[in-house]
Amino acid sequence: MTTSRRDFLKVTGAALGAVTLPAWVFEAEAAADVSVDKNKLADVALSTAKRLGATYADIRINRYRFESLSTREQQVQNVSRSQSFGFGVRALVKGTWGFASSRIVTPEEVRRVTEQAVEIARANAVFQRKPIQIVPTPKVVASWKSSFEKDPFDVPIDDKIQFLLKLNQTAMKAQGVGFVNSSMFFVNEQKFLATSDGSRIDQYLIRSFPGFTVTAINRASGDFQTRASLGGPQAMGYEYLEKYPWMVEAEQAGDEVVAKLKAKSVEPGKYDLVLHPSHLWLTIHESVGHPTELDRALWWEANYAGTSFLTPDKTGKLQFGSKIVNFVADRTQPAGLATTGYDDEGVPGQKWHLVKDGLFVDWQTTRDLAPLVGRKQSYGCLYAESWGAVPFPRMPNVSLEPAKEAVSLDNLLGEVENGILIYGNGSFSIDQQRYNFQFGGQTFYEVKKGKIAGMLRDVAYQSRTTDFWGACDGLGGPATYQLGGSFNDGKGEPTQSNAVSHGCPIARFRGINVLNTAVRTA
Amino acid sequence: MLLTEKEARAITEKMLGYTKADDASASVTSETYSHLRFAANSFLTSGRRENMNANVVVWINRKRGAASTNDMDDASLRAAVEEAERLANISPVDVEYMPTLKAQTYKPSLGYAEATANVPLVDRAKAVGDIITASEKAGVLSAGFHQAQASAGAQATKNGNFDYERRSIVSLGMTARTLDGAGSGYFLRSHYDISRLDTARISREAIRRALESRNSRLLDAGVYPVILEPQAVADLIGGFGFGFDARSAEEGRSAYSVAGGKTKVGEKIFDERINILSDPWRADLPGSQSTQAGLPAEVVYLVRNGVLENLVYSRYWAQKRERQPTPGPVNLIMETSGKPSTVEEMIQNTSRGLLVSRFWYIRGVDPRTATLTGLTRDGVWLVENGKIQYPVRNFRFNQSMIQMLAPGNVEMIGTPERVGSSEGQGGSAALLPALKLKAFKFTSQSEAV
Repeated sequence: MTTSRRDFLKVTGAALGAVTLPAWVFEAEAAADVSVDKNKLADVALSTAKRLGATYADIRINRYRFESLSTREQQVQNVSRSQSFGFGVRALVKGTWGFASSRIVTPEEVRRVTEQAVEIARANAVFQRKPIQIVPTPKVVASWKSSFEKDPFDVPIDDKIQFLLKLNQTAMKAQGVGFVNSSMFFVNEQKFLATSDGSRIDQYLIRSFPGFTVTAINRASGDFQTRASLGGPQAMGYEYLEKYPWMVEAEQAGDEVVAKLKAKSVEPGKYDLVLHPSHLWLTIHESVGHPTELDRALWWEANYAGTSFLTPDKTGKLQFGSKIVNFVADRTQPAGLATTGYDDEGVPGQKWHLVKDGLFVDWQTTRDLAPLVGRKQSYGCLYAESWGAVPFPRMPNVSLEPAKEAVSLDNLLGEVENGILIYGNGSFSIDQQRYNFQFGGQTFYEVKKGKIAGMLRDVAYQSRTTDFWGACDGLGGPATYQLGGSFNDGKGEPTQSNAVSHGCPIARFRGINVLNTAVRTA
Repeated sequence: MLLTEKEARAITEKMLGYTKADDASASVTSETYSHLRFAANSFLTSGRRENMNANVVVWINRKRGAASTNDMDDASLRAAVEEAERLANISPVDVEYMPTLKAQTYKPSLGYAEATANVPLVDRAKAVGDIITASEKAGVLSAGFHQAQASAGAQATKNGNFDYERRSIVSLGMTARTLDGAGSGYFLRSHYDISRLDTARISREAIRRALESRNSRLLDAGVYPVILEPQAVADLIGGFGFGFDARSAEEGRSAYSVAGGKTKVGEKIFDERINILSDPWRADLPGSQSTQAGLPAEVVYLVRNGVLENLVYSRYWAQKRERQPTPGPVNLIMETSGKPSTVEEMIQNTSRGLLVSRFWYIRGVDPRTATLTGLTRDGVWLVENGKIQYPVRNFRFNQSMIQMLAPGNVEMIGTPERVGSSEGQGGSAALLPALKLKAFKFTSQSEAV
């Protein structure tokens, strides 16, 4: 026998009172989802869509929980929790997609919204030029949970506040640090998918994003510098806060931001670059992850994110980088932000090469993209940021494979006459076809004759994607491999956020153009 | 369905009634959103979302907690309030706590049109069908995005304020590309009233730019005189008006900070014809009747005749500095004190320079000088001897916005147009003019089209 959500809340709330409520009061909400018979609702959606002429349909019934904490110095600025529950129905009618969604999760509403999705598809189908086709995928009935040890939503808020305040205190130890801001974000997706292929999939995902920025100010000169944390978001639980050396990095960041104020401004010119994974992940994201999205190559993103310099006729032909460069797309990688059991149309998580021995060999695909390049299966890259958003092609984790040998940072630096070592991601920008890019960083070190010679500032490098990866002549070994990533990668219309990781070793690039970004105003 | 004022009041009163906190604010928003996306002259995705969200912030012994939910039944609203109270109980004292507002008087702005909230599916499909037909006739492949959003919401405080507002926006942005990929054009416009959105003009302009940007030539990077169309100005400084934060300037970490802990207020930082302001009651760009903090919005000049007149003080920072909080900004307007010029006049007055239609992927490089990097996109043309000569390839720029608008660098200023940044997809807008500038720094070439 199921209990209605209202009754459940009445019982728990009345019996326990506010102070002794569970760590997460909204747990009651989540637990009450049990009272929503998702399979029955799915039956309503899928049978309605079929009756109205849809050749394919799916329904997502999802709950999202978010927790956010932010602090500055020794003040807590915000502690908030939110949750969102609802469903979205997608219907393919006469080769045209229609989608509709609602926060009211009842059979009547599911029926009404499904009719709306079909009506939207039908209205647009009158003017459709190239009907959408989808490749089949095997029926799946499964449940899947992302790999985490400690659910952050079960950790007391007080512990988190104390963690951030201690972090701030540690960062401000260095004399000259003026400000520090720190934050933690946690996301929990509880997703149910049913498709007209017969798939029924439950998934539970956790993502964590701690971070901080320290600022040093020279009030006499009016100058200021910042240093943001190098540890990025991970698909891990609260154990990420406990295992990553956050306090060590906070102290280091305080020292470094003060040093940045006095660092030498870079002399523009050509340098060999040695890029740490805390920096290189973003260059991979922009110059490898996005151009290998097939929807971009087919001009589906032409009005917003842009197209790609890669086109289907270049598959297996274009030399993307040097022979040592191998990029894998991977939705199975532990702690990867885009790792998932199944994508939002029931395709299992997979791993495949995008660039092999420097050659561009494959794409990121979905069920409606795969047939456009003659593929019979999707790589499973469909994702929607919420129940109210249309799922569309999103990036899997895209990572650079390390050297097989044990190559260290010192090994890579040892062969540099005149170079720069860069940590952390800073300013970033790339053109709409992913040729020309410019990246900054957090800390920069001059390298002279194989040794670090001091700190630099005002550094950014500009290059062209294939020139840059062609100039890669050294990769660190497995011990230097780290996972970086983006918590909020924007793409699509309406724009949606996707979390995605990029692993890489330390890597070396020869003869890259470096700018000085400082501008003196009158 | 959108909440009426009565319904919104009932929800916020209910939430405030549930809490025993010393102080509290409750807000509720309701939204209908629809979109249609097309690409390569074909329909791609199209959808609709209906949602509501209730948010509560409470203070207990000056300790703050916040929670929100999209379940509107009584039990869920009560659960959200209890969650916020629980968070407040275990949080440290909020040293920036300001008592919530007492009853305020708002002067409404007209930013809502019923027709925008209920876009007929068939009419929208036909409008996009017409665009695809026009694209096929012109020999281009088009991609575009039509979206309409209507919202109604309210914020209420335990101290007696209630602020209800409805707003709407509709936009169409479109990119046309020639079949050989050698030309690309873009045009984006929005309005709160769908009857004022000229979809045919958007289609015509995007297609024209695609055709006229074919066969572009390579030009060296460097410093050029430029004419920036309103779209290019919006891409650069569409969010500029919200960067005039007093606190960061006084803390020494803003482009408006100067040595010795002072700010540039009172200094002539821009060309003396430039005014940058917020005006909630501009007919083509109605802003919200209230600021983010809930204060009644007023006309606020940030820059008047080139002089930095105001930085923006939050309620907390204003109290700390013993002054009034700033009743804005709620929108962004840049206009000239002098006689505005047309883009055609700017071209006629250019001996050699570049006409830029749009910028893309703009990110901050150096906050000390508001230096940005990014690229031109969808049409750059060389102007010589008062005439457009030919299209040129795209460039990357690195340019300080402070230097760009500084005295001596602004030659001509246009009439402001309602335009939104292209990265914002038309979801927001500003009133911005075309600008003719003496110098703009392009640092490398891009072969992207």
